[in-house]
Amino acid sequence: MEQKKYWKGLEELHNTTAHQEVVKNEFREDLPFEESDSFLGATTPRRDFLKYLGFTTAAATIAASCDIPVKKAIPYVNKPQDITPGVPNYYASAYTVDGEYVPLVVKTREGRPIKVEGNEMSSITGGSTTARVQGSVLALYDVARLRYPGINNGPDKTKLEERIKELTFAELDKQVAAAIAGKPVVLLSSTLLSPTTKKLIGEFLAKYPGSRHVTYDAVSYSGMLLANEASYGKRALPTYHFENAKVIVSLGADFLGTWLNPSEYSRQYGATRKINAKNPEMSKHFHFESMMSLTGANADERFTHRPSEAGVVAQALLAALGGGVSAPVIADARLKEGIAKAAKAIQANPGKTLVVSGSNDQNVQTLVNAINNLAGANGATIDWAVTANYRQGIDADMVQLVNDMNAGSVGALLVYGVNPAYDYFDAEKFKAGIKKVGVAVSFNDRYDETTELCKYIVPDHHYLESWGDAEGRTGYFAFVQPTIAPLFKTRAFQSSLLTWSGNATAWEDYLKNEWIAKLGSQEAWDKTLQDGVIEPAAGAALAGASFTGDVASASARIAAPKTSGFELALYEKVAIGNGKEANNPWLQEMPDPITRSTWDNYACVSNKVAKTFKTELGDDYEINAEKQVLKITAKGKTVELPLLIVPGIHPETIAIAVGYGRGKKQYIGKAAGEVGKNAYPFVSFNGTTFDYFAPEAKVEATGSTYEIGLTQTHNSYEGRPIVKETTLEEFIKNPKEVNHDREHLAQYGADFRNDATLYTGGTKFEYPGIKWGMSIDLNTCFGCGACVVACTAENNVSVVGKEQVIKAHEMHWLRIDRYFSGDENNPEVVFQPMLCQHCDNAPCENVCPVAATNHSSEGINQMAYNRCIGTRYCANNCPYKVRRFNWRDWNGADSFEGNLLDTADMNDALTRMVLNPDVVVRSRGTMEKCSFCVQRLQDAKLTAKKAGRPMKDGEARTACQQACATDAIVFGNINDKESRIYKVRNEEQQDRLYYVLEETHVLPSINYLAKIRNKDAAPVAAAHGAEHKKEEAHH
Amino acid sequence: MNKRSPGSDPGMSKAQNTMHLKYESTLREPLIDGVKDYHQVTEDIISPIEAKPGKLWYIGLFISVLLLLFGVFSVTWEVYWGTGVWNLNKTIGWGWDITNFVWWVGIGHAGTLISAILLLFRQGWRTGVNRAAEAMTIFAVMCAGQFPIWHMGRVWMAFFVMPYPNTRGPLWVNFNSPLLWDVFAISTYFTVSLLFWYSGLLPDFATVRDRAKTKLRKYLYGVASFGWTGSTKHWQRHESLSLVLAGLSTPLVLSVHTIVSFDFATSVIPGWHTTIFPPYFVAGAIFSGFAMVQTLLIITRKILGLEDYITLGHVEAMNKVIVLTGSIVGVAYLTELFMAWYSGVQYEFDTFYKFRAAGPLGWSYWIMMTCNVISPQVFWFRKMRRNIMVTFIMSIIVNIGMWFERFVIICTSLYRDYLPSSWSYYRPSWPEVGFYLGTFGLFFTCYFLFAKYFPVIAVAEIKSILKTSGQNFKEKMDVYEEQDAEKFAHDQAHH
Repeated sequence: MEQKKYWKGLEELHNTTAHQEVVKNEFREDLPFEESDSFLGATTPRRDFLKYLGFTTAAATIAASCDIPVKKAIPYVNKPQDITPGVPNYYASAYTVDGEYVPLVVKTREGRPIKVEGNEMSSITGGSTTARVQGSVLALYDVARLRYPGINNGPDKTKLEERIKELTFAELDKQVAAAIAGKPVVLLSSTLLSPTTKKLIGEFLAKYPGSRHVTYDAVSYSGMLLANEASYGKRALPTYHFENAKVIVSLGADFLGTWLNPSEYSRQYGATRKINAKNPEMSKHFHFESMMSLTGANADERFTHRPSEAGVVAQALLAALGGGVSAPVIADARLKEGIAKAAKAIQANPGKTLVVSGSNDQNVQTLVNAINNLAGANGATIDWAVTANYRQGIDADMVQLVNDMNAGSVGALLVYGVNPAYDYFDAEKFKAGIKKVGVAVSFNDRYDETTELCKYIVPDHHYLESWGDAEGRTGYFAFVQPTIAPLFKTRAFQSSLLTWSGNATAWEDYLKNEWIAKLGSQEAWDKTLQDGVIEPAAGAALAGASFTGDVASASARIAAPKTSGFELALYEKVAIGNGKEANNPWLQEMPDPITRSTWDNYACVSNKVAKTFKTELGDDYEINAEKQVLKITAKGKTVELPLLIVPGIHPETIAIAVGYGRGKKQYIGKAAGEVGKNAYPFVSFNGTTFDYFAPEAKVEATGSTYEIGLTQTHNSYEGRPIVKETTLEEFIKNPKEVNHDREHLAQYGADFRNDATLYTGGTKFEYPGIKWGMSIDLNTCFGCGACVVACTAENNVSVVGKEQVIKAHEMHWLRIDRYFSGDENNPEVVFQPMLCQHCDNAPCENVCPVAATNHSSEGINQMAYNRCIGTRYCANNCPYKVRRFNWRDWNGADSFEGNLLDTADMNDALTRMVLNPDVVVRSRGTMEKCSFCVQRLQDAKLTAKKAGRPMKDGEARTACQQACATDAIVFGNINDKESRIYKVRNEEQQDRLYYVLEETHVLPSINYLAKIRNKDAAPVAAAHGAEHKKEEAHH
Repeated sequence: MNKRSPGSDPGMSKAQNTMHLKYESTLREPLIDGVKDYHQVTEDIISPIEAKPGKLWYIGLFISVLLLLFGVFSVTWEVYWGTGVWNLNKTIGWGWDITNFVWWVGIGHAGTLISAILLLFRQGWRTGVNRAAEAMTIFAVMCAGQFPIWHMGRVWMAFFVMPYPNTRGPLWVNFNSPLLWDVFAISTYFTVSLLFWYSGLLPDFATVRDRAKTKLRKYLYGVASFGWTGSTKHWQRHESLSLVLAGLSTPLVLSVHTIVSFDFATSVIPGWHTTIFPPYFVAGAIFSGFAMVQTLLIITRKILGLEDYITLGHVEAMNKVIVLTGSIVGVAYLTELFMAWYSGVQYEFDTFYKFRAAGPLGWSYWIMMTCNVISPQVFWFRKMRRNIMVTFIMSIIVNIGMWFERFVIICTSLYRDYLPSSWSYYRPSWPEVGFYLGTFGLFFTCYFLFAKYFPVIAVAEIKSILKTSGQNFKEKMDVYEEQDAEKFAHDQAHH
């Protein structure tokens, strides 16, 4: 049936063309848009105004917030065995550079080593590290490392790529083999701890008759080795046991900073400085030195002498102990008294004394051996059964080698891990000699001053890419295993030797076979690699040795000291050491513990010297980075360096750090190249050993100035109760005296933290779960800076460079404040690590307009970097000044392109591999600060949660805590009554415990434990007492 | 005509000489000089807008724009390279930036005080200066606002300070932060001041429109005057609006600088943590604001020939305010010193006595003391208060002093606070100075444009204080009084 058709109008019925048009048009009427003829004449209806406004605001907002560059990461296509993205792997390894012995555990993420920690299975270091060890992971990614083997094209070319013509290893092996065939070879290396490498060297040298191995230490200890040989028949270093000593006398040995193996000694020494509140006792540390060293700064009694007086001081001490030498004349009354005091203390503590000396003079060391012998140290604090291998170089061997080289009697010179063209005292002679050598081969991993002169360059791996072993003490082994495949075309030094001695075994197999033979099985070897160390069973008694030294003739050979005029002393900086690892931005930017300077060396002078050059400590000195440049002449050599006043240095001593003044930036690297001046030319050879001082020095003003980047310019804590200290005597007498200034807080109630508030009725958050807290013991913090570098590594703290340090823009989350007190020429020193105090009543939190910094339910003052707009109000309002602002784009995380400020290649794709992926890189314009290593805390909590158990104390550790050699930092959950932190605060150390700036009622989560000095006179405490009495009288 | 020459002593008027006008107060001087009728007023004030600007104006504007461009360059430099191009550091997070912010905000206060509080107190003399003073407020707040914006490390995220609904949680701003209070205080202040100023401009714009001879001028001023016709209804609403806005502005005079002072007062830093700050800051703001008004009006009246409208009476009145508020800040300074000693807190004591009044930045404290406390005391002398040159120099000295006050508060408190290890020093870098100069450029560019295109005196308002009819009556009476009594009686009788 056909549908009936209804029509609405005649047009539709007739279906006119006009009607068809209309039907095609969807909208029969115009939409109510207001039309206008021109754009300018367009009217915006009132009712649409808000719409337009809303749209434009939203559009602007979106446009503004989306413009952050996206960085792409490429995931694994196939999951590698043993690597789970996001989960770190740990491998045991060891740091053995230049004879230091620090067993390590290396953290790798996605195949990249990013952090090293001390291996706690080692009884020698017990998990402690040093700043340099912490920084060594960055050296792996150093852009200045050599990337391929090759042949040196010579000095005509400037670019590094052109200077070294790349060769394949096969080609290179062929050429080297031909070049050294039949020649007597000299292998010149730094101290090697690896027994297997030494065995291999022996095999290699045997193939080339007339060959020899010369060990050369840039900073030598051969005086000690020779003295020990003469005194005890062993050319070795004994094992020191500072932990057994009640009296420690150091004659210029910086054993906490640079002497032999500081991580080991710091730990031992720290054990003697811990205060048990119930039975307070601690070692007494006398220190005699010319410059102000880190160790001297921590001494209880410190005395200064001229550098040339080092022998006389030992002589005088021996004489005072009745050692059969006549007492020399000592003009300085204070020094004389100090020696008498030290002698008295030694005599009062037989068998509980340790005397160490930093002198490289055989005669001085013989006298020191005699002192230790008299004091009964052998077998008590010194072990001769287990000797240490930390340094093995004999200076005379090196001098002989350089003479041989110049005589043309060295057929081939293989240079491994040393750089005499820079650090040998007569570098010119070495350079002249190397030209007369048949062929020179360098295994150094960078194009340093010596490698520049070698024909063949076969760069070695970094230790984190290597296989190896190390024997720190006799019978104590640590193992090195690769944590990453070699980044470049480098080859293990040992592989080269194996190849060149015709042995086809791979080095790792050679090492493995050697150890499997010793250990008995593959399983034992695997276990060993897992543990990282092998040690003899504990409990063996220390062994003494019979002293056979010729004291009389040693004493007779002590040179008469100078009595007036300037003298020059050379020293190693804690961070830079002998300069081998100087191209490390983390270490260059780590402030020197004493001077608080970065990126430079300088002439450390006393107040007295400074005054003669019209420089004085004071406002002008503090606020101006420009320091006067002095011209220093000694031994016919001249150097121009800016002066830096170091209170406590001997009044007529100028001290200069070695390790600076390296070659061109393009070869050495941007961090170390052309920084500071080389002080090694001032070293001299006295016929037996190198002397690291110059008794005749001339100092002149140059009239010019030079800027030094100091991170702290004011030296005194101005008597403010931010640092508390007392003497042991006073502390035993009245332990409460330390916190006498807290007594007036009692007026606010029994518990100042809770009661001193205006808001008594308010609700207070009680932290029901975890509440993190930290305790820092000022008595066992020595200011070494390992924690500072550990923090930098863990938290991707940016390096800013010298210019920005001068502008006080450095980024360190954790700094170590150093304060002097007392006599301006013989000050006492205190170190105070200062980091975010995670205040429960944080002044930074309530001033942030956007709530970018806020408090966690676990008591952490946290930063939401993405939210931060950079008003810096929080930093202004921080009483501790621990907040750090990203003043510039240090790391490429900025919204703008092309404004990166990177003075030290920290943003190379290679260097950035060191970044910790757990911690975000902060962009320019945001504030940052210590987070209590929140990523580690989360990790510990999640691990416990996954295992279905409560988190145990010690599972969550901050990077600074872990790096500390002395456990000066205790961290944990204060709600856990079993935790160390709870016990320290509530049971063990209430008397010494205080909070910095407690009276501001910001409620910090970090407490400090007052420093105790073991000294006789107690001027500080007495003053406190007197003041206290006065106050009482006043009331 | 009894026209007095400007600057003549009002006490020595004709009235005194002839004893004719005994009913006229000899103490109160007229608010404007000269006998002006309504037309004359309009002529005097509007004609500069219609005339071609002078050479000086072009030079001034050119220099201002140059400064402004340099400021733009300095800020661009800073935004691109980072706040690190400024010499602020880990210890001193605020320097010239916030110093300048507080300084400019303070300057703005005089305008609001004149327009709002004096309106409520029915101070007729305000009509001569309120327009320019309010303009100064607007421009000063515009300049002030630049600093908190561009001092941010990530200025492109500045909108985070706005409490807008968002998908971040929602994540709100921190209402505890004084900096956030600043955001509200300054934006409210700017909005209200702008509305007040603009609503006052409406009748005057209409006058300019009605006199306009070119089409463009007529169009532009027509738009600007929002269709003002001058009907009674318009006037009535205008008056009500003025009163409402005056009522709103009055608390702002006190609150804005109080809140700015909270940035410091609520902190824990010695030298900032002071309860005296709110009144001290408000007094200081009015002090510097009046000084700036003096600086501007002394130039304006000279160049535009408005000596009849901005009289010595105005200058003197404002100098009285200056000596009063200057003395208040002086007392505040001394109180701070006293409290620092009396509190017995070592940090406070050191900050005030060792690092503020002495120490490497001590010079700034003594500049402040000299400029703000000692030098304004000259205004105790009437002769000095009425001396244009002295006033002009003093107005500049006061603003230098007030700039240093803010510098002293911010920098000498920060550079040496609790932990001596962090003590530092501060010198500005060129982009910081450039930014400051740039705001001068912005301020004077705006002011020059204002002086040329806007009626610098509130024409409609000043007409309300004209005493032309009274004056005319007196003059008529003069004629009679000079005749003898009989003649007068005779004349009267004939009527």
